Amino acid sequence: MASRLWASKAASYLRLSVFHRGFSSVVKDLKYADSHEWVKFDGKSAVVGITDHAQDHLGDVVYVELPEAGTTVTQGSSFGAVESVKATSDINSPVSGKVVEVNEKLSSSPGLINASPYENGWIIKVEMNDTGELNSLMDSEQYTKFCEEEDAKH
Amino acid sequence: MILSATHSFCSILTPNHSTRPYTPHLNVVSKLSQASQFSTSVTYKEKRLCECFDLYNELVPYGEAWSWQKSIVKEKKALIQRNQSCSDTLIILQHHPVYTLGTGSSEEYLNFEIIDAPYDVYRTERGGEVTYHGPGQLLMYPIINLRNHKMDLHWYLRALEEVVIRVLSSTFSIKASRLEGLTGVWVGLNKFVRDFFQLPGTFEGKVSYKDVTGTLWLQGQPSLWDQKLAAIGIRVSQWIAYHGLALNVTTDLSPFQLIVPCGIRNRKVGSIKGILGEFSSPNRYGPSDNNSTDDFQLIDITHKALVREFSEVFQLELALNPISIL
Repeated sequence: MASRLWASKAASYLRLSVFHRGFSSVVKDLKYADSHEWVKFDGKSAVVGITDHAQDHLGDVVYVELPEAGTTVTQGSSFGAVESVKATSDINSPVSGKVVEVNEKLSSSPGLINASPYENGWIIKVEMNDTGELNSLMDSEQYTKFCEEEDAKH
Repeated sequence: MILSATHSFCSILTPNHSTRPYTPHLNVVSKLSQASQFSTSVTYKEKRLCECFDLYNELVPYGEAWSWQKSIVKEKKALIQRNQSCSDTLIILQHHPVYTLGTGSSEEYLNFEIIDAPYDVYRTERGGEVTYHGPGQLLMYPIINLRNHKMDLHWYLRALEEVVIRVLSSTFSIKASRLEGLTGVWVGLNKFVRDFFQLPGTFEGKVSYKDVTGTLWLQGQPSLWDQKLAAIGIRVSQWIAYHGLALNVTTDLSPFQLIVPCGIRNRKVGSIKGILGEFSSPNRYGPSDNNSTDDFQLIDITHKALVREFSEVFQLELALNPISIL
């Protein structure tokens, strides 16, 4: 694993073509949307963020556009945005509900998303309307496979 | 300064190449067909259609152009929702003088208070820092469904840069390149020469270097070094990219002095006219003759080249749409 990481870093430094790293970390017990957001549901509230695969593709995040607490979010719709490399892209919510908490640290340290996409880089906490929505999301194995297929297309 | 037309930055790839920065997705034949008209280029694959609104010689108010883009994006999203095919759109135009900021833009890069701003200031949803748009600068707003191309933002940005690099190279024989970590298109000294002489990025005054044999390696104004000719900033929503790129052709560059363009200090902004002017009479400082017919021609030539190279890089066939503006 480590030597593959070294090899891909060396290859990209030398500007050689790189087989895509198949080992972006994917955390079990989380659910995943096909737009590369994850959600952790602990029975009460849902925490949402973007995956390691997403932050790797984005590059250094320089700015995060956060919603306000109290905003309603809908599954599949955009609730905010991340900016990197002069491109700002939407983040879509994997679940519907009301935003109860927003990770304010991201305003001053947007890089948390790159450094710790599943822990300190969480983006919002949502009080869900319908926990059944979690069933329409992918689990960690399905998501890993999904990423591999997506990257293989490139 | 090397001004020969080279294609050293156009790497030819076979399809299915992995997407790392700086390697645009090209068909092998695109280099061969570069000189021909886009509608009759030789390709082995049928090009997808892209509607083109060509207002290259119109000054469109920024607010209107922005709303227009957003409405097109909305239409495309609706098509995608209904699982219908969604083609791409390209808008080319110019703006009245305006400053625009991106989502994360810092107001510290403005050398004025927004209340006192010399021109309108818009905070938009694109990436990137502050920049200026005005007459003489061509704007390309491709509204692209990245699902039709590659769902990769790095690739898309590099492809936009590629369009400009090719325009400068094939039409003006200006060798432009990317600077690592600084999105946009730059014209400057060959990096090897610069490193060899340990030259700084920019400074005032004229310079000439002779090596030990007395060979004159370079001469002229270092103000040519590392000028940014094109700025890029995009927004992506559900894989539809909009906003785009701005290329200085005959732009009056003085409004750039009131900002730190794209948040990059110590680098200059240039224009095609400026670069060509420096080389037609190297002793001339200051603004060139105000010949408006020449300016018009320069803009016309550049816009045609942009359309052509865009069509090549993105493998799209452009269908011109007549438009009575809004």
